[in-house]
Formats: sequence, structure tokens, C-alpha cells
Amino acid sequence: MSAAERQGSVLRDRFLPFISEDCVRCGRCVKECSFDALVKQEGRIVANGGCVACMRCVEMCPSSAIEVRHAPPQMAPHPTFTGRVRESIIAQAGSGGVLLSSCGTDLPYDVIFDDIVLDAAQVTNPSIDPLREPIETITFVGRRSGRVRLDDGGRLLGGSGPLVAMDMPLMLGHVSLGAVSLNAQEALFMAAEKLNVLAGSGEGGLHPDMYRYADHVNSEVASGRFGVTPEYLRRTAAVEIKIGQGAKPGHGGHLPGEKVTELISSTRMIPLGTDALSPYPHHDIYSIEDLQQLIAVLKESTEYQVPVGVKIAAVHNVGAIASGVVRAGADFITVDGFRGGTGSSPRVIRDHAGIPIEVAIAAVDRRLSQEGLRNRVTLCAGGTIRGSADMIKALALGADVAMVCTAALVAMGCRVCQSCHRGVCAWGIATQRPELTSRLDPEQGARRIVNLFHAWNEELKEVLGAMGIDSVESLVGNRDRLRYLGPNPKLAEIMGIKHIGEGWG
Amino acid sequence: MRIESPRTGARQRNEEAYAALPAYGAARPEGSSYIMGGCGIAGVMNMAGEKVCGDRIARMLSTMSERENGLGAGYAAYGLFPDDLKDLYCLQFLFDDEKAMTVTEEYLKNRGAIVRDERVPTQRVDSLRPPRPIVWRYFFRPDPRSEKFRTKEQSEDECMVEAVMGINGAIPGAICISSGKDMAVFKGNGHSYEIAEHFDIARYDAAMWLSHSRFPTNSPGWWAGAHPISLLDWSVCHNGEITSYGVNRRFVEMNGYRCSLLTDTEVITYTWDLLVRRHGLPIPIAAVIMAPPYYRDIERLDENGKKLAYQLRATYKEAFLNGPFSILVGRSRPEITMVAMADRKKLRPLLIGESDDGKTVYAASEECAIRSVQERAETWEADPGSPMIARVGEGIVRRGIEPPFGVMDR
Repeated sequence: MSAAERQGSVLRDRFLPFISEDCVRCGRCVKECSFDALVKQEGRIVANGGCVACMRCVEMCPSSAIEVRHAPPQMAPHPTFTGRVRESIIAQAGSGGVLLSSCGTDLPYDVIFDDIVLDAAQVTNPSIDPLREPIETITFVGRRSGRVRLDDGGRLLGGSGPLVAMDMPLMLGHVSLGAVSLNAQEALFMAAEKLNVLAGSGEGGLHPDMYRYADHVNSEVASGRFGVTPEYLRRTAAVEIKIGQGAKPGHGGHLPGEKVTELISSTRMIPLGTDALSPYPHHDIYSIEDLQQLIAVLKESTEYQVPVGVKIAAVHNVGAIASGVVRAGADFITVDGFRGGTGSSPRVIRDHAGIPIEVAIAAVDRRLSQEGLRNRVTLCAGGTIRGSADMIKALALGADVAMVCTAALVAMGCRVCQSCHRGVCAWGIATQRPELTSRLDPEQGARRIVNLFHAWNEELKEVLGAMGIDSVESLVGNRDRLRYLGPNPKLAEIMGIKHIGEGWG
Repeated sequence: MRIESPRTGARQRNEEAYAALPAYGAARPEGSSYIMGGCGIAGVMNMAGEKVCGDRIARMLSTMSERENGLGAGYAAYGLFPDDLKDLYCLQFLFDDEKAMTVTEEYLKNRGAIVRDERVPTQRVDSLRPPRPIVWRYFFRPDPRSEKFRTKEQSEDECMVEAVMGINGAIPGAICISSGKDMAVFKGNGHSYEIAEHFDIARYDAAMWLSHSRFPTNSPGWWAGAHPISLLDWSVCHNGEITSYGVNRRFVEMNGYRCSLLTDTEVITYTWDLLVRRHGLPIPIAAVIMAPPYYRDIERLDENGKKLAYQLRATYKEAFLNGPFSILVGRSRPEITMVAMADRKKLRPLLIGESDDGKTVYAASEECAIRSVQERAETWEADPGSPMIARVGEGIVRRGIEPPFGVMDR
């Protein structure tokens, strides 16, 4: 990309790779940098502009000679017309287009999770030591009947199901083949298999090589219906209708044409090199009764063997929408908060539409409880679950399962440089270029995700034990064990949690 | 240097400190939303259908003096009314004033017939702190066709649940403390022996007694908040603190129960009613739901057992009572039944005893409670999560040492 072209790009250089004296001039960094931000000139490595701070060169440099420095272009300071605002204006004045971006919003919204603290047992109930006592984290995904029926001999007449049992209350979110490479998707599926959790397929269909992970795949049916074939619906552990995504509520998927390679084209069943823009709504779902029909069709197609869920973005009226979705027959609901990630999204939507997941979970949980529906459905929630603490708080606010995406990508290399939409991910994740995708070893990626989730699950057990709870279901919706210490007590009220300093009685 | 403790002793001083706390009758203590604490429990049943005098249970309970601090005690008697009254619902109320009583009577008359009513006999105990609420008893027959019931054509039991929840939630100064057939609850704010004397417990002979004394950690004394907590013919005495309270409470509320007593015991009571009466599950299955076996133990069951256990854990996960508890549960229908069980880690004590003639069964927090009335009883410790079930006419049908699906008796 020339300097002139860059002038019109969304953001001007914000980062500067700094090469120290220790450089041995091997040139590895130049090869590693898929953004052409480094070049070799007269035997020396120099910055060429366009660095996105993906950190690939830093981590690959054999002599640790590279440091990426934050070097935002310094315009005259102005608190309202910030540098970010002015850059956007300049970029749009140049291109006349919608600004695209990726990953979750980078606006400094407060993370409500960080304003919530956890309870622990003292004296009147004993804490439990997870090293010496069993603490259980098995979690079910699917429809619950609210009641078990037995005959006079104590044999089962009716109950819940179909249900998927996962070893921990975590699932990998939807990352589509296309947005990410086949290697990246395989790493996610492989990790899901080892962890015995579900992993979302994303809307890009399922490559035949991935069929062997079918028992752990949660297959997405999105508005584009990419790759939704009988085969696809036969090889899955769960099906999820994607109505919305936290990062871009009201929008469909955006896959730039440069990512639509032969492999993507055949899996998605779309022409080579074309932009794959999913319709914003499902054109067979304009109302709740239409959703009910699609749920019914998918249940028929899968012969009632797998749970069928619906994913919605966290929007203002999310409680009522969730209630309708349950009434329409969804076995599980996934709510995606507005800070959630994306491979590509219009920035205006990503940064400004939707509500935070913390509030959405509480709203959905409360609404479903009020309507007597909460024990009929599994509630999954995601959109910036950054660590075990977020997961634990999400559960206590009312989610059965925490859905994790960005953190899993970070585990396998992603450094959240927010350039996925450009298709040249240096880590081989959000790209389809063979020379880049080959950088990611699925087994190694899977191992790191497994490590991460294991660590979180161990931390979950530590916290459960400290609360005197020995099985994770007794945490779900247990808002009594949370307190709010943030700046806005109204939020605490809306989430149904007390303020710090307020005891039980 | 050594400082002599004052003559009254530490225990006495503590009680002086408690005496400074406000005390409440039927009205809910202001600002409270949840009450917790430690406790002592004791129960006795004559399985041959003979009667046990109330002074016996009072002795059992009072023996465990370390387990109470004078902020509440209570007794539930089963099988105490004569034949002409035992098929009527017996509603026992605490009233703070005459007005609450008048409003309650009006409420009841709109929903059925008060066949008989009387003051529950009490005697003056000077050491009991005021307020001392009026305790009144109504023998009642609900009329399911009454326009006042929100749900039409419901069973008499459901009518009673609706009426009790309605009164407890809506009439200030009135709390229904028991509402079953052939059973009654006597409870209040005081030591076990004071409450026994106040109600002259010894005047009653009953087939089964359950009892409870409290050591609340954070709450004022409150007559209505003492145990047993009762709904229909269920009553529950509970020692423990449920760490999953928020989850369990939402579960019963979602199923139409209204919580008004601020205790986890209330939630346990409603859970028993929901699982056994409404959902028709056998008592041992309800026990599995409330104190489920670990998955690793479920894996060792046969295929049917495994399937059932997974169904119960998945479907009723909100009814799982996590944290420490031991409970005594009573009901009078179809037969007078006692259930005694502890949580699945057994973090609270529970001992079962049987008299040497095999006629009487005991359950208590401490062995001394049993020995104090039956020196030569055979005693055994209940296993974690395993319910002891005894029934008048049948004897001990489950000893509380069987595996989860060992005895599938209703």
C-alpha cells in the first residue's frame, strides 16, 4: 500500500515498530509482517508505515530487537474533536464509504463486570476446598421440561431434552470459516472436543474435514444460509439460528471478497472472490411466528436429536424478545453483548448499537423467571467474557453458559489488532492466504485454548468453593452473591444486585 | 494479671445483648430480606400410632442448649386432633392486633367456611419478651367455587396455598404459621423451654413431633420467622444455611409460591410441596433432587438409574439445595410421615435413633437429645444426602444409609 493510499484508509499509522541495536538483520520480521509495515533497506530493517501492532514481528524476532510503540498522530488537542473523530472524518471525506472495523468496540465504555464483586463464605457456612472436595461444573445445554414424570415403578415417563452435557459452563462462540482460516477453526473444534464443550461453527458452513468434530459443533444457521445442507444438519451436536450478533445487531455477516478463496467458496456454496454479505434479516423471518416455523423445521430436520437454539444481540428490549424466542420453541438462547467481537462490521454499529451483556443477562433472566420460562431453556451469554471473573459474574447474573470467542483467539495468537477485515492476519487466524494460514498449527492452537479454559474452570471451582457452593448450577442466577461498587446504583437495581455494604437482612 | 469473669458469665451477657435487639410478632422486621443462622433440630414419632406427649419433644430440644440463643423455637405436632376435626384444615395464626384478625377472618369467610375457631391456649411466661402475638386457630373448609380464588376449579389444597400466600403477603400483622390437616405448629420468640411453656406443649399428645431451636446470627427475634415453617401439612425444621438461596427462591417463585418469611427454610418447605405434592414425585426422588449425588457416583448407576439421575439434575437444577443443612420434614397425608436428611456433603449433624421396642423413631442434631428421652435407643448417623423416612403404621421405610435410588418408596 502506498503512502497515498494509506492517506485514505480508515486509520493513519498509530504504531511504530522500533528496531534496536540488537537486530541481526536476518529479515525474518519482514517476512512475518503481512501488513508490509517493515522493509529491508540497505541491509537495515526500517519501518514502512501501516503497522497495526499485531505483535507478530515482536514475538518472532530471534534477538528480541523489536518493540512496537504507540505513536498516535498528534493533532492539535481537542476534547470533543478527538484525534479519532477527526481521523474518521478525514477517512470518510476521502472514501465516501461506510467505515469498517473488526473485533469488539474500542470505545472506552465502562465494563460493568469490573464494578461487581463476589461473595465468600465465612463462619455460618463453610467454604469448600476444591483440592479436597468435589466441585462440579457439568453444564447442560438444551430444552428443559420443568418437570420429570415417573410411572408407579419409578421409571421415567418424560423429562428434559435433547440436552448436550458439557464439562464446564463455557462454550466457544461462533467464528465462521471465511472470517477465520480452516486451521483456526480446526483448532477451536479440536479444543472443544478435548474440553467436552461446544464450539460454534459460525455461518460459513462446515468443511468436510471438520465432520469428525461433529459431536462438539454448534452449527449456525444464519440469514445467508451458507453451507446449510442436509449433511451439515446431520453432523452437529446443536443447531443455532443466528438472528443477531452483539457487535452488529441488525446486521448480517460481512465477508470481504478477498477472503472468499476456493475453499471458502465451496464450503459456503458461493462464487469465488465475491463479497459474502448475509442479508440483514432472515428473509423468511419477519416476525416471531416465522421464527417458530424455522425452529420447527430445524427440529424436524434433525429429528429432535439435537437442541435448536437462537442467538440474539443484546438490544434494548432483549428481555421480551428472549421470552418470545423461548415461546417460539428455542431450546437454548444465546445473548451476545454489544462489546462482542466481529470479523468485520460497520464501525457505527459496532461502536454505538446494543447494550452491555451484564445488563442483558439480568434482564433476560428476570423476564424469563417472571414468565415461568427460565427453567425451560438454557441461557448462554457472551460479548467480552475476558476471563474467569467475567464468566463467574455472568453466571451469577443468570447465564447458564458463558460464550467465549476473542479470548480463545488471543490464546492462539491473536493480539486484537482489530484488522481482521483486511484479511492479512499475520497469525494465520483471520486470513485465507495459504502462506499465512500455514503459520497456525491447529494442534498447538487447540492446546493453548484447552489450557486457557482449564485454567478458567479451575478458577471457577476456587470461587465456588469460597462461596460454599459445590456445583455450578447453584451459582446460576444467584445474584445474592454479587454486590455492586460502581458509580451508578441504578445499574445495580436494574441488574437486581445489592450495593456493597448491604448485607442479607 | 487475670480478670475474673463477672458472675453472670459470658452466656448470660450475650443474652443481655440480644435482649437489646428489637423483637417482632407477626409483622415482618423492617428492612430485613433474609435471615440466617445455626440451629438445633429434634423429632420423634411413634410408628405404632400411639401418642407421644409434648413434654418429651420439649425435653429433647432443650437438652441441646448450645444450639439456641433465645431468638426463636418451635414445635410441630402431627396427629393431635380428634376424628371430627382432623379432616379439616387447621389454620394457626399469629396476629399482632384484633384488626389483623378481623381482616383475616373476612378473607377466610370469603373463601370457605370456618367450621370452628378458638384461641390457642397459652400461659404467661414472664421471661418471654413482648410482643406476644395473639395465637388463634381456625378449622376451615375451603370452597373451590368461591369467586375470590384467582384460579378456578382448583383442588382444596391449591385453594389453601393461594389463601395462605395471600394472607401472609397482604394482611399486615397476620401470619399463618400452619395450615395442614391434623397438624399444628407452635412457635415463637424465645428459648425452646420458654416456648414449650408458653404453649403448654405438654397438654398435647401427638403421633409425631418435630422441633427446632434457633441461633440466628444476624436477625432480630421474630415470632413468625421461627421454625417449623409450614405450608399445608408440610412442616420443615432446618439447621443450616443454603448457599444457593437466590436460585432456590426464584425457582419456587417461578412456580407460583410467594416468599414472605425471609428464610431459606420457607423455600425448602415450598420445594417439598412442589416436588412431592404438585409434581407427584416420591419422597426419595425429591431428596435426590435437593441433595443430588455427584456425577461421578451417578456414572456408577445402571443405565436406568443414570438416565433418571441426569434427568433430575438437569431438570431440577434450581431445586438443588447447596450448602450446609440438616432438615426434618413432616407431613400428615396420606399417612403421618417423617423425613430426616442432610446435605450431600453432610455439613450439618443428623442422627437417627430407634427405641429398643422398635415403636419409636428419633432424629436430632445431637445424640444427647435422643438419649435424654430414651437412654437405650439404637442410634446411627444418616449418610450425606440420604433421607430417613418413617411412617405411622409402616415403621422406618428408609434408614438414611441407603444409596440414592436404593428404596423407591412413595
